[in-house]
Amino acid sequence: MTPFDLHTPSSLGDAVALLSSDDTDARPMGGGTALMLMMKAGVLRPQALVCLRSLGAGFRQIELQANGDLHIGALVTMSMLEHSAEVRRAAPAISRTMTRLSNVRVRNVATVGGNLAHGDPHMDLPALLSALDAHVIASGPDGERCIGVDSLITGYYETVLGKGELITKLVVPCQTGMRSAYMKVTTRSADDWPALGVAASLRAEGNRVETCRLFIGAATDRPTRLTTAEAMMTGQNVDAALLSRAGDAAADAIAFIGDAQGSAAYKKALLRIYLGRAITAAMANATDGDLS
Amino acid sequence: MSRDQHTLDQVGRSVPRVESYAKVTGQAEYIHNLRLPGMLHAKIFRSRVAHGKIVRIDTQTARDFPGVHAVITAEEVMRLIPSPYFGPAFHDQPILAIGKVRYIGEPVAVVLATDPHIAEEAVGMIDAEYDELPAVFDEVDAMTSQVIVHDELRPAGTFPDLKHLKGRKNTNVALDFKLRRGDVDQGFAESDHVFEHTFKVQPVMHTPLEPMVSVGEPDGDSLIIHSSTQMPSFVRIEIARLLGWDEGRVRVKSGLLGGGFGAKVYIKLEALAAALALLARRPVRVALTMEEQFYTITNHAATMRIKSGVMRDGRIHARTCEIWWNGGAYADIGPRITQKSGFTAAGPYHIQHVHIDSYAIYTNLPPAGAMRGFGVPQLVWGYESHTDLIARELGMDPLAFRRLNALKEGQEHATGTPMRDTAIDLVLEELGKRMAWDVPFERGAGKVKRGRGIAIGIKASISPTTSFAMVNVTADGSATLYFNTIDMGQGSDTAMSQIAAQTLQIPLSKVKVVRADTAVTPYDMGTLGSRSTFHMGHAMQLAAQDARDKLDALAEELGLPARETPIEALFHKKFGMSAGNVIGVGNYTSSYAPVDPETGTSANITPNWMVGASGVEIEVDTETGHINILRLVSVADAGSVINPGIVATQLSGAAIMSLGGALLEHMQYTDGELTNGSLAYYKIPAFHDVPHNLEGAIVESRQSSGPFGAKGVGESASFGVAPAIANALEQALDIRIMALPLTPEVIYRALRESEGNALVED
Repeated sequence: MTPFDLHTPSSLGDAVALLSSDDTDARPMGGGTALMLMMKAGVLRPQALVCLRSLGAGFRQIELQANGDLHIGALVTMSMLEHSAEVRRAAPAISRTMTRLSNVRVRNVATVGGNLAHGDPHMDLPALLSALDAHVIASGPDGERCIGVDSLITGYYETVLGKGELITKLVVPCQTGMRSAYMKVTTRSADDWPALGVAASLRAEGNRVETCRLFIGAATDRPTRLTTAEAMMTGQNVDAALLSRAGDAAADAIAFIGDAQGSAAYKKALLRIYLGRAITAAMANATDGDLS
Repeated sequence: MSRDQHTLDQVGRSVPRVESYAKVTGQAEYIHNLRLPGMLHAKIFRSRVAHGKIVRIDTQTARDFPGVHAVITAEEVMRLIPSPYFGPAFHDQPILAIGKVRYIGEPVAVVLATDPHIAEEAVGMIDAEYDELPAVFDEVDAMTSQVIVHDELRPAGTFPDLKHLKGRKNTNVALDFKLRRGDVDQGFAESDHVFEHTFKVQPVMHTPLEPMVSVGEPDGDSLIIHSSTQMPSFVRIEIARLLGWDEGRVRVKSGLLGGGFGAKVYIKLEALAAALALLARRPVRVALTMEEQFYTITNHAATMRIKSGVMRDGRIHARTCEIWWNGGAYADIGPRITQKSGFTAAGPYHIQHVHIDSYAIYTNLPPAGAMRGFGVPQLVWGYESHTDLIARELGMDPLAFRRLNALKEGQEHATGTPMRDTAIDLVLEELGKRMAWDVPFERGAGKVKRGRGIAIGIKASISPTTSFAMVNVTADGSATLYFNTIDMGQGSDTAMSQIAAQTLQIPLSKVKVVRADTAVTPYDMGTLGSRSTFHMGHAMQLAAQDARDKLDALAEELGLPARETPIEALFHKKFGMSAGNVIGVGNYTSSYAPVDPETGTSANITPNWMVGASGVEIEVDTETGHINILRLVSVADAGSVINPGIVATQLSGAAIMSLGGALLEHMQYTDGELTNGSLAYYKIPAFHDVPHNLEGAIVESRQSSGPFGAKGVGESASFGVAPAIANALEQALDIRIMALPLTPEVIYRALRESEGNALVED
């Protein structure tokens, strides 16, 4: 790893200013877990890192709002998400995902903001949060804006975030009445990146799907919405035949990208099966965010 | 006597490990943490081509970079060491590439700087130009390829069976071991059935969590090498040879290792650290990153073709084995693996006609060497998959088939060496009992199928080898142990302390271990191949007995009752105060009869046999190919164990490590370039991957020639894990996988193919 300057600003404004400067090639650092891998491999050689850890306690808070929305500061770690009573209450699908998200050492330092801004399609959270219809608040030199997680990532390590723009907060909307599940399919060790991640979030009446949001991760260059399958499921009673048809339709609509975790053809085969498993798991879960 | 109550039966007890408190409190010293005044850091510039002539190495920009102390290439090294080629079996590996590179990742140049980051940055400024040559990667292709990795073979001369290879040209075969027993052609002709299969094992990495590190430190006219080595004695001999020095001028210090698994045997970074320190006249630290370990040593990928003639009643009558070991660009200890494992390639079975051909092959991949099992797991993958295929074809129960053919006590192994104290029968019996083999197995329903499988392997100890130990009893009645066995996590410090304490009849708390230092601790061949308990255990017992005898003689001289007089009283009476030492020395050399070069046979290839068997129960998701290991049982013959608690963790550790190679680990190459050379992309089993039911068992046995009846066990649970899973998989799904690893995708594809519906690429 080559030497770099380390800045530790204590305010968001200072961090944005450091990152917006045209003088240096500076990168923001949350937990640094993904960044350090890239720097050690020599694929990223920033002149400066802007460490966000001193930005203030506000960025490390998890707050359940009166309206049921969950506000999660960008510097909240994966461990904090894993162990948060608010998260378990308002969006338990997130809590369930955490136990196999990388390993405890990574979870102790990796942050929500860093996870999303990294733009790696192999991450588990982007697909799940997209299904939950979550959005992020981003702050940059031109002010603050709201970005849906489902439109944040545009390709491998590419996001819509501009220079100097930082994710400050994740907002998971009230999940009352929703049933959600995330299926992480690994092919090597259990804490590996997934070969395929399937997220389903739906509202059901009895066995009938009223609405659903279905996303996959790790199979394409960004989290991808399964619109065909969503249309097939909406308003229908769930049965094995329908799940199988929806899985096939979803798989046939995607151009999969193979990697070390699995070939494109295998990932496609996995989705045929796992779409149904994810929907079944979501249906079996108690409705999320039941705050009564 | 209260003293005796404390000291009785040290051996055979699960006493806590002597180094564990220091480890868990962060006080244990590792070479990795060593920093010396004025020390330079070395960073390595590595080849980007798999095979090529070096046209030019441009180091000027790096030399001019502020903070760089020096840039070293083979040119500088050869001013110090005219022929800087090292290796245990062949002197084929240059300290830095000379004229030619032979694999991607081979060290070509080194930058030295006081700041490791500057050294690393300057490495990026070195530019090398190569005249690329065609390369060969597959071990079977390399047998007949026009691509020749080494122009001429350079055997080290230390092994008689390699001498005939000296000066041989136009070949990639570094050793062609053969074994001939009986007449296989006649044997096959007489057999009722003949089966032939070919199996493959992938390359994997040892993955010690403490990466390799060596620090060279000039010391007057001498040189100290601090190294995370499993073999300080060998390193000293090899460095002295390279430098043309007396061994006394080379001092090698090792420490506790953060894992070894064979990655740190013989000589690795030490020659480079020695050359750099002497050239720079300052201490130099060569410390690999985890990623660089992938370019330093791997296991052997291998191809095994096995053919068996079997009689109608299930007796195996004839067998041929051909094994091609992918040794990579430098031989390392590959030729020894080729021979020592070659001995046992036909398995733990009584077979009248056996031919074995085992080939050590050079290719343009990173060097392959010893890894837990010393080649045996590759062979067991082949012969135990083959065993089940035969049993299935004959309609025989796999356990009954094995028991029918298993070598019995006293029977001659294919090498001609009789089986002594080798509890193959007991191990199979215990495995069958633990697996409840006679109870029908629930095979699953619907999309989830279940199966169970077993496998067994044997291993000969590396022989002949020798171990020395010293026991220094001081006037207060405590003892210090001097020996070169390296505790790399296997618990040898504890086992040796137990042996010494019991023999001296003093409490374990009065025994301390000195870290290996060739200026202080005597010669040992090395910590490898599960040899330490047997060999060093013997030497330690002899050394402690020598000290005890001297103490008893002293008591007699002083007219005091031997054994009943406290040791401190002996010293006090003899010297009039608390002073003096009693030093016991012990040496053990295993017996061995040389192998007939024509037949590969010998009446004594090993002082003891290791026996290890594995059994698994699995379920398989037929829709995705995912295996769930419900239960993993390891059974071994470890003789009479010194420390049952440590033996249990050796069994579980080996079993879990072996799951990696069986199910998920695979160094992936594209045209000789490793594409997953980091722990982010190369996965090993983690806690979530450990089966819920993980069992280990030791059978009641005794190695009559072993110290307190014991023998080594560090590798035994690594032999059979992969074939046991493949055998269970066939029971569950009726598919047979011939190549490792058994990934979900491999299984899924095999399933689809068996259904006549092969998965096609988009």
